[in-house]
Amino acid sequence: MSAAAGQNAPGRKSAADRPPVLELTGVTKSFGPLVAVDNLSLTIRPNEVVGLLGENGAGKSTLLKILTGVHRPDKGTIAVNGKAVSLRSPQDANAVGVGIVHQEQSLFTNLSVAENIVMGLSKQGPRSTRFGLYRWGQVNSDAAAILKRIGSQIDPRTKMSDLSFAHRQMVEIGRTIEIARETTRALNASEDEHGTPLVILDEPTSVLERDETEILEREIRKLKEIGSVIFVSHRLEEVLRICDRLVVMRHGRLVADRPVGNITEDELFELMIGHGARSKTPASAKTSAPAKAVLTVDHLSRRYAFHDVSFTVFQSRVTAIVGTVGSGREDVCRAIFGAEAFDSGAITVDGAPVRGWSVRKAIAAGIGYLPAERGVESVVGGLSAARNLTLTYPDKSRVGAWLSPAIRNRLANLWFERLDVRPRDIGLELERFSGGNQQKVVLSKWLIAGDLKVLILDHPLRGLDPGASEAVNELIREACRGGTAVLLLADTLEEALDLGDEILVMRDGYVTARFDMARENPTSLDLLEKMV
Amino acid sequence: MTPIQAMEDNQSGGIRRMVAANAEIAILVLLIVLFSILNPTTFLTVANFNTILNTAAVPTIIGVGATFVVLMGRIDLSVEGTMGAAGLAYVLLSPNSRTSADWGFGAIVVAIALGAGLGLATALLHTRLKVPSFIVSLGMWYVGLGIAAVLFGQEMQPFLSDPDAPLWPTSAPLGVSNSFLVALGVVALGFLVERFTRLGRVPYAIGNNEGVALLTGIPVARYCIYVYAIAGACSALAGVIASMSLGAGAANVGVGMVFFILAAIVIGGTPLSGGKGGVLRTLIGVLVLSTIYNGLILSGVAPSLQSGVSGLVLVCAAIAAGWSLRDHLRVVK
Repeated sequence: MSAAAGQNAPGRKSAADRPPVLELTGVTKSFGPLVAVDNLSLTIRPNEVVGLLGENGAGKSTLLKILTGVHRPDKGTIAVNGKAVSLRSPQDANAVGVGIVHQEQSLFTNLSVAENIVMGLSKQGPRSTRFGLYRWGQVNSDAAAILKRIGSQIDPRTKMSDLSFAHRQMVEIGRTIEIARETTRALNASEDEHGTPLVILDEPTSVLERDETEILEREIRKLKEIGSVIFVSHRLEEVLRICDRLVVMRHGRLVADRPVGNITEDELFELMIGHGARSKTPASAKTSAPAKAVLTVDHLSRRYAFHDVSFTVFQSRVTAIVGTVGSGREDVCRAIFGAEAFDSGAITVDGAPVRGWSVRKAIAAGIGYLPAERGVESVVGGLSAARNLTLTYPDKSRVGAWLSPAIRNRLANLWFERLDVRPRDIGLELERFSGGNQQKVVLSKWLIAGDLKVLILDHPLRGLDPGASEAVNELIREACRGGTAVLLLADTLEEALDLGDEILVMRDGYVTARFDMARENPTSLDLLEKMV
Repeated sequence: MTPIQAMEDNQSGGIRRMVAANAEIAILVLLIVLFSILNPTTFLTVANFNTILNTAAVPTIIGVGATFVVLMGRIDLSVEGTMGAAGLAYVLLSPNSRTSADWGFGAIVVAIALGAGLGLATALLHTRLKVPSFIVSLGMWYVGLGIAAVLFGQEMQPFLSDPDAPLWPTSAPLGVSNSFLVALGVVALGFLVERFTRLGRVPYAIGNNEGVALLTGIPVARYCIYVYAIAGACSALAGVIASMSLGAGAANVGVGMVFFILAAIVIGGTPLSGGKGGVLRTLIGVLVLSTIYNGLILSGVAPSLQSGVSGLVLVCAAIAAGWSLRDHLRVVK
């Protein structure tokens, strides 16, 4: 804490004559015995992009919730634009000029793109309503203009649920930029002409493809001219490129506050983890020995989604599928897991073709699936971590007709230890854990089976910090060594190249290339070429 | 560089989709055809259609308000109590056999204000004290009946003195009964609010994902209060019209309405989980149920079987309405 205070002092001297956009002093927040944010002080100056780093569970999310009025600090003060504020709700935060793009998408799937943008604005533009009634033509064209500014062609009348995840993310970013602009306009119109808005981006890039990330970077540079930005990301190279200054949190405290000029990725990694240098990812146990085919997909097709997809997944091998948004690779995986239908073709598990496929049958056949949208599809937030862990295979904690809490807790404690889940509290509701720790729990939900035949992983590292990523990757390798076949939809091409024994490239629903990594050595450029 | 629309190509599936999205209308048409074949002379007449619309008027008025409540993923069970209290307030403030009051149109205004007040109370208890809307509105049902019982008192039942009053709801100077015209007016107003105001759009957002609504800065509690007050006002107006038809004040004027309304809303296509549907769909839902009741009577179903048969038809209609949405991962509660 004293280190943080010391490092803040020189920063304050060099600040412009304007008051800091945000000044936190001694902010503390605990949940029961768990101190999530511990006596934290932080200053954000006008027109500055500050990167906020830390492992999953370091307290970043809690800090952001304090800044947006969701949680109130137990101790400490918050000043925005030089004035002490008490933030009791997200509306309060918006009113003083603090807006946020959440890590998990905060969109209404049943409304149109334009409506989602309008819903986020605290005040409606004077042109969007007349006599209190919406003028949808105006609202839609305003929304189209907002989206066009970030280079998106999405039709504002489209229903949100009809858009892909990445497109939804673009809407979310467009909306936040608009909230920031609206806030600036409001602040500039009031007598306080020094007001600078603060936009918080909580891992906005974790689901974006490369070119979309570039658009976001461009927008952040534009935002910097009118306000300040707190940028949370786990991609270290990205943080170093985009930010002016970096602050690192560990165990609820600020452990570093430095300009980007004099810090390297390895140093950052060490600061976040708190020990040792970054271990280079060890080469996976790639073998060319003949293996047993576990899952065969034969000419699988579904109208408008994927066509004539065939491949085989072998025991103890990783098959990675790469492709852009809309390549259909997610749909193929969901069809294999019985979560979506297919029109023609066949799926064979362990030599037996499947009939009347459903999720239950897939699980009974030994297939596990980790969905990409953790918050929506894999976490039962209100249940304890231990109960989440034993959800898929209740038999593991069953004694006769009864579920045994003792066995469940023993299992949960065992896996918490193995995966280093923090906090070590198996009784805590899963929604109270950070994203990375949630992912560890939902992954082990499948691994407790012990004899899983196929594990389908849809973006397993999405939103995970480097430390948690390594832990999850190690789990995947371990499962693989134990005989599980892995079907992987990787976040990055590097990840696919690193882990995959075979790589399939998909484009517009077709398999456009396949590489046997034992014999070929493609680069990410080779893959990219077949993807677009 | 074509604009990104729905990911699925929807040209070939267009007609199927359209039918699927409007299954309620298909059911209504089917029912009308069915009953017309069964009772060619009695069902398919202007007079009978007026009867159906007349029965539909009161539930339609309630349904508009209740739809917004259900869109938010909440429920309002207080309908019958509110109808009783508001209906009695109206009767006692109009020329009647007991009191000497004659507030004219003011009586209706007071009755509606009473309904809105009861809705407001429900919402305040629900949002401030975080009690589930199911329980609060269940309690308010009986509070409303209690108010009605006090107003009813120990004396003779109060009758409306104006002999023309009971005739007004059913008389049809414009071709359709007055009460159904009022209902249509309420539906039109409800539709305008639903499609073109923030008050109308926010319930969809809340019903879709309340956590997101809170994080987005939408004052959920405030909109909840508005919506319950509107629902209370609608129930009260329905209570006034029902009392008018009765020509007297009665605490149980709305008996059986709660389940009729909720069934109509769900058959219309607004799920109890909220987030989708709307007032026009509720109108269709009410018409479906009114047609079923009317048709069963005309078809000569024995009174002892009517309740069971209408229940079965209701279940079939619900199955048909949800048929296109079947998907083994869809969550239905």
